[in-house]
Amino acid sequence: MSNLLRTLRQAMTIARRDFIATVFTPIFLLFLFAPVIMGSFGAIGGMGAASVADGRADKTRIVAIVPDANARTIAEADTRLRAVFRRDEEAPPGLTTLRPAGDPAAQARAAFASKDYEATAVLYGPLETPQVLYGPRGKRAADYLGLLAAETLAANRLNGDVPRVTAVKTALERQGGSAGNRRQSASFAVFGVFLLNLFLASQVVGTMAEERNNKVIEVLAAAVPLESVFLGKLLGMFGVAILFVGFWGTIIAKLGSLLPPDVASALAIQAAVGTPAFVVLFVTYFTMAYLLLGSAFLVVGAQASTPREIQMLALPISVLQMGMLALALAGTARPDGWIATVAQMFPLSSPFAMAGRAATSPDLWPHIAAIAWQLLWVTIFITLGARLFRRGVLQSGSAKPFWKRARG
Amino acid sequence: MTVNDPAVFAEHLVKRFGERRVVDGIDLIVPRGAIYGVLGPNGAGKTTTLRTLLGIIEPDEGRRSILGHFSPREASDRVGYLPEERGLYPSMKARDAIAFMGALRGLDRRTGRTRAAEMMEAAGLGHAIDEKIKKLSKGMAQLVQLLGSVVHRPDLLVLDEPFSGLDPVNQEKLEALILAERDRGATVLFSTHIMAHAERVCDRLAIIAGGKRRFEGTVDEARGTLPSRVRYLPARPQAGVAEVLPHDATPDGDGWRFQLPREGIEGLLVTLIERGYGIGGLSIERPGLHDAFVRIVGRDAAEGEPA
Repeated sequence: MSNLLRTLRQAMTIARRDFIATVFTPIFLLFLFAPVIMGSFGAIGGMGAASVADGRADKTRIVAIVPDANARTIAEADTRLRAVFRRDEEAPPGLTTLRPAGDPAAQARAAFASKDYEATAVLYGPLETPQVLYGPRGKRAADYLGLLAAETLAANRLNGDVPRVTAVKTALERQGGSAGNRRQSASFAVFGVFLLNLFLASQVVGTMAEERNNKVIEVLAAAVPLESVFLGKLLGMFGVAILFVGFWGTIIAKLGSLLPPDVASALAIQAAVGTPAFVVLFVTYFTMAYLLLGSAFLVVGAQASTPREIQMLALPISVLQMGMLALALAGTARPDGWIATVAQMFPLSSPFAMAGRAATSPDLWPHIAAIAWQLLWVTIFITLGARLFRRGVLQSGSAKPFWKRARG
Repeated sequence: MTVNDPAVFAEHLVKRFGERRVVDGIDLIVPRGAIYGVLGPNGAGKTTTLRTLLGIIEPDEGRRSILGHFSPREASDRVGYLPEERGLYPSMKARDAIAFMGALRGLDRRTGRTRAAEMMEAAGLGHAIDEKIKKLSKGMAQLVQLLGSVVHRPDLLVLDEPFSGLDPVNQEKLEALILAERDRGATVLFSTHIMAHAERVCDRLAIIAGGKRRFEGTVDEARGTLPSRVRYLPARPQAGVAEVLPHDATPDGDGWRFQLPREGIEGLLVTLIERGYGIGGLSIERPGLHDAFVRIVGRDAAEGEPA
């Protein structure tokens, strides 16, 4: 059996043990459903905030102080214009009409103090030269009231015979997506790879501590090269990550199929390399980011001998991950800039940045080069980690530095 | 590599920790099929020697080969190892732990599990096959780890202080297992500071102290480094017997003790009888390995070592 095959076989033996030891525990269920728990807290908070907002929105009004003759026309104009708003939050508050009484300006001011509703903007005066008062955050509502005045005036001049035009609407797909959409897809790719790794890669940090605490490391180190131990631990936890991603990926895909077509279309990825290649590259870069960050964390974590030391590593690890995200996102904002090049070249940010590049640039060859480059660094990290571990933990290595040994 | 290569070969092995030479130029040749003991007091360098031989740590000087391979990694699938600091995954079942250790050495998992069950039954641990390690006693866990080190039927079995922590019954089981491994054709290399075990099972042994090899040979050769001692009890105690006995004779109760003379004891016995002291009792005691060990490593170094 060749050394490579033996190394892989040994690594897979360790990976299998780690995978089983991690997955077949009650704690894993907690880990698997952590997004549900996080989502539940988010939903509860969101529902509370929405409830407060809805209660406020129910009472919010725009007010038009117009004679009875114009009240119906302005209401019809409001109905016509309101139809273009897609979501409730974009629409102006509901319209209330008041009959002018006495001083319209004073009546308008008084409307802001009404207990029956909460006025954001109030229109009064002749429609040719309407006056609009508006409160905090009522500027758009004031504009809308001005528009309603113009529509009502036009309808009056046409004696209510407003032309009804029904346009023939045809959806047209832009070939390859717009630059804006591609940039949006790039940001999505960077953030997606980051988010998955934020959850999963940091799990690797403490895995060597188990072997150190149980003293199993001596058995492993005698049987297999430390490089196999490190690779095995990385692959074992990667299996856990794949299980996690597969589980949630399936659920999200199922939920996605239930979305209305126009929503699904709006959410669709528009990548320069094409969707199939983009999906493959996204998965590849997720894997590479996991292996790179995981191997770096494994190396650092292997030097820690107590749970406290491992906990202390959590902050610098999070900072490092955030730094890589920031670098990669800065690169996607200017795909041809020097920051993008740095982000694509720097080993730890390269997978994030290259996932973004897949959305903005159609060339495939840089990805082949980048994947080879990233694999090289995974190998370097694992080899370096094994050496550090051998020297620091197993107390191996020579008392002489390697350059002195090389000289004899 | 040939079948005549020794199972383990080391030449001028040196390992430093900082400025301290923990292993200081050790030479070792362990013949194939032998049970070979590495004896030494605490801190003698036994464990470091074994770890260096196995490639867990690299020597600073010298060279070593395992089963004919100068890179121990190349022979790792044919080696079994029980480290001094026992270690198993606490949440693993005993059978799986043994199979896992076999799998690390290239044994397929199914075979490993089958053999694990058979070996546990044979070792009297049948009731614990599916027990988690954390539920086993320390001694049972140690036996499980030992079985894990031989489940792949290695050509070389290296055991670091295998008897420590075991009760007398399990120590006996371990001795039987070592002999069985030798009978199967394996070479067994183990370190210990319990002389009784080494005396019973070792074909050859090395005694090391202060990182240096102080003795290499058979148990008999080790014991031969000290002369036998004679205990003589006169049949008719009378004054003047001391003048007949060798100069190193010392009183011991009603009798005397002295080293067996180089020329033998026959002449002395004739003299004693002729002078009328007679032979009330006579025994020639060969020195034990413990005595030889103490003499070889020095009393200071050996103090505190159980026999």
